[in-house]
Amino acid sequence: MSVGAITVDGVSKRFRLERNRPSSLKEAVLRIARTRDADEFWVLKNVNLDIAPGSFFGLIGHNGSGKSTLLRLMAGIHRPTVGSVEATGRLSALLELGTGFHPDLTGRENVYLNGAMLGFSRKQMTASMDDIIEFSGIGDFVDEPVKIYSSGMYVRLGFAVAVNVSPDILLVDEVIAVGDEEFQRRCLKHMDMLRGKGTTIVLVSHNTDLMAECHQVGRLDHGRLVEVGAPDDVISAYLEMVDSSDNTLHTHDN
Amino acid sequence: MQFSLTPTLSPSVRKSITLIYHFAERESKSRYKRSLLGWFWSFLNPLVTVGVYWFIFGAVYRAVPPVTDNGNAENFGLYLFTGLIIWTLFTGLVEGSMEWLTSVSDLRKKIYFPTETALLGGAASNLVQTLLEVAVLVVIMAALSNIGWTLVFLPVAMALALGFGLGLGFIVSVLNARYRDVKYLAGILLNVAFFAVPIVYTPELLEKEEIPGIARGLVEWNPVALFIEISRDATYFLQVPLWNRFLAAVVWSVTTLVIGWVFFRKQSMSISEEP
Repeated sequence: MSVGAITVDGVSKRFRLERNRPSSLKEAVLRIARTRDADEFWVLKNVNLDIAPGSFFGLIGHNGSGKSTLLRLMAGIHRPTVGSVEATGRLSALLELGTGFHPDLTGRENVYLNGAMLGFSRKQMTASMDDIIEFSGIGDFVDEPVKIYSSGMYVRLGFAVAVNVSPDILLVDEVIAVGDEEFQRRCLKHMDMLRGKGTTIVLVSHNTDLMAECHQVGRLDHGRLVEVGAPDDVISAYLEMVDSSDNTLHTHDN
Repeated sequence: MQFSLTPTLSPSVRKSITLIYHFAERESKSRYKRSLLGWFWSFLNPLVTVGVYWFIFGAVYRAVPPVTDNGNAENFGLYLFTGLIIWTLFTGLVEGSMEWLTSVSDLRKKIYFPTETALLGGAASNLVQTLLEVAVLVVIMAALSNIGWTLVFLPVAMALALGFGLGLGFIVSVLNARYRDVKYLAGILLNVAFFAVPIVYTPELLEKEEIPGIARGLVEWNPVALFIEISRDATYFLQVPLWNRFLAAVVWSVTTLVIGWVFFRKQSMSISEEP
């Protein structure tokens, strides 16, 4: 498989529901006596997807459709219950706030730690440290523990690390929305630059303008990948679906 | 063309080593963060412990320590110290591993990295601490000229305790991620276990009629007691450990480490799914 490609092969993911999860030993022991209730929830059902190296891929769908879970499986954070996910090359992921930061460490220490998790040595991270600080725009705060950061600073530093380490694959989950307008533009420009370098980018967003820029968009609906195609078609299908459920909502109201 | 003197490691191994180093550094830094004396505490802690035990058991209760090889160090404090070093290493690993895994579980929900690196890094940091204590012990023993070639068994005893403690740590840390009771349970069990190991008493104490054979067997053949015996042979009695007890120690250590590792590898992926 060539570098930068992602293959999702017959993937299903099951989560256990928290309310039925034993959280103490006592409960767990008591549970053995009882019969198991149906405490499972299939977040993804038989998803097949091939993302070619260098493509810009968007994932769209209603809340709880499994977009974020699919992204997490690609990032290797979760293991699929059924099927397999393969992503070749250096993978950098931005999932929700403060991707992989440790609250007690300073921004700088976190950059090193983050780099180590992506497979970069200390020396390599020192080389790109200035660029990262510059891009994030957090200035002297880089030597303060990240727990005192504002959510905007968190995301900015996280994004700065993720894009400045020249990944082969970049996974982005709706985080850019947190930064201010100026930072958002800088991110988009930088993502454009990475695209030019042949980085595979997978983006989860509700922003249909951003989605329109993708090469391909996939639409998830209740854990199933129902459609993969040109952005215009998939987005309009998605909006149609939203409109129709909106209408049923109103009919019920009346 | 580039030549490198260092052996070529696969990228994933190199990544793991970098991470282990990071976690070890973090653990060492945080241990005495915001303290004025810093690393000095690492020396003071074992010294005070030894002093207190020496006072209570040596001076107050007048426990008679076994005679050392040259008869120079007939000192209950030192006898205790040789046992405490191994005990502290062992409990530090078991209790630490739960803490180390908990401290990275939030991180692991957002980014993939091999979680065992957090445990190995913590273990490395603990090992440094133990080496400092060992340095104190060796200096004292050298000053009393109670030192010999048997010292080579001390690193062996440490390695065996490390393997056993880490193996148990792999298991309890995963269990603790699921059921937080494990931490408290382990704390209690370790407190009890302290007295099942001949640290504050000598094994000869058990050779009384009124002590049942099963209790004696438990104390004599439990893994930590075996490791401590090797460390005492190495530094206190200056004799070669008995081969059958040495073998038992190796079997305990290796088996536990292998079982713990396999269990951890199987279970650790689900840590990101814990609430």
